Amino acid sequence: MIDLDRVSKQYENGQLAVDEISLHVDKGEFVFLVGDSGSGKSTLIRLLLKELEPTEGIITVNGKVLNTMKRSKIPFYRRNIGMVFQDFRLLEELDVYENVALAMRAVEASPREIKRRVPEVLKEVGLAGKYKSLPRQLSGGEQQRVAIARAVVNKPQILLADEPTGNLDPRNSYEIMKLIEGINEQGTTVLMVTHDKGLVDQFQKRVIAMRNGSIARDVEEGGYIEA
Amino acid sequence: MKLRSIGYMIRQGISNIDRNKMFSVASIATMTACIFLFGAFMSILLNVNALRTELEEQVGVTVFFTEGITEDEIQKIGEQITKIEHVTEIHYTSAEEAWEKYKEERFGSNPQLAEGFKENPLANSASFTIFVDKIENQQQVVDEIGKIEGVRQINQSSAAAKNLKGFNKIFSYISAGVIAVLLIVSIILIMNTITVGITVRKEEIVLMKLIGATDSFVRGPFIIEGLLLGLIGSAIPLGILYAVYNLLISRLLARFGFLNAMGGVLLNVNQVFAILLPLGVLLGIGIGVAGARITVKRHLDV
Repeated sequence: MIDLDRVSKQYENGQLAVDEISLHVDKGEFVFLVGDSGSGKSTLIRLLLKELEPTEGIITVNGKVLNTMKRSKIPFYRRNIGMVFQDFRLLEELDVYENVALAMRAVEASPREIKRRVPEVLKEVGLAGKYKSLPRQLSGGEQQRVAIARAVVNKPQILLADEPTGNLDPRNSYEIMKLIEGINEQGTTVLMVTHDKGLVDQFQKRVIAMRNGSIARDVEEGGYIEA
Repeated sequence: MKLRSIGYMIRQGISNIDRNKMFSVASIATMTACIFLFGAFMSILLNVNALRTELEEQVGVTVFFTEGITEDEIQKIGEQITKIEHVTEIHYTSAEEAWEKYKEERFGSNPQLAEGFKENPLANSASFTIFVDKIENQQQVVDEIGKIEGVRQINQSSAAAKNLKGFNKIFSYISAGVIAVLLIVSIILIMNTITVGITVRKEEIVLMKLIGATDSFVRGPFIIEGLLLGLIGSAIPLGILYAVYNLLISRLLARFGFLNAMGGVLLNVNQVFAILLPLGVLLGIGIGVAGARITVKRHLDV
């Protein structure tokens, strides 16, 4: 599903954010990406989104080599990836329904499809009664649920989550984690960046730990810190 | 881009204008000034041009003959002139007709004054009046006629038409200059307006691109915004021009009756707008879309 072959990313200021990483993630896998700030986790996510170009190495996702992908093909590639951010990135002036519908409008889904799918996915994330609420009227956990609904409304094959519980209390973090786990169980490959030791230890998934742009540890069903 | 997205883009374009009213009004106002001046200059140019064409059609070349020429010889000269390229019409005026016309023009109210002339004082004034297809070709025709034997004098009276042509040329340059300046100001203001719109929606745009929106889908609402500003910015001045021109023409015709007598020298509002309407609308849309395109190209490279 995701293949990185000796991938490096050096920024224009000389900082080497990712240093010769090789990595393989299977279809339907759940991977925690852990590490200190500045260890290269977010750069890796941005490389997978093709927001950044690698300085060296080859990235292949779903059999497509990102390095040689034409600019016109990028939107269609991104439609297979759902993205969840730490700060939710909801549009404040749009209500819950419209925030989720935006993702479908962006991929030019038909109005009928939008009307059918948005309530369905809002129900899945437990926000069936909050269609008309504005983001500021929701709790942090609810806002992240909207963001998750927006990320999965187009049924992506991969979900990239960049510290989705970073702004939430433990109870909400746990619920969001359960939600993402549920999405993974339906077949979506999940790559989740996190600093939440408790969650990683509790859910026992594959853990890739990064340090100084390299992979320091890659274990199946591991904890946050090396046992 | 799918056809069904057009409706969404139009709604977003209108919402952009609504969110950013101050800049939108400034853009529309500048464009209104630009297209109003363009329309005013065009109306004058079209009228002067129509007047020139009218004069060109009316102005002819008059050819006089050497003394003692016979009717047969005059007829032969006439045949030779007819064969010259660009000659469209030829009229013969005999010496008698010329004298009658002169008497009527000069002594119309006192015919007894003409009785003092025992013989035709214009005995040598038989002439051909020749019309050419275009004023530019007149000199060539005159040169050709000058070569014909029996021709004594050729009178050209195209000065007015030539002057009008010169006026049109100078006027065109001045108006093109003024319009060009306003055009640039309009485009810059449109670009500013669209830039503000993009800045306000930057977060949404980045998000849309990450979600998988195509470039054309993200750019569409801003292009539509430019197009709508252009349409409004051309509709207002064209509407005003229509009313003002109509009023002005009817006032001019009412006050200066001779303009009527000149056979509709002034173009009516429909004649002017047949040209001005499509040109004005195209100019407005052109300014709007060009400004929007430059701006989105600059700011939307996510």
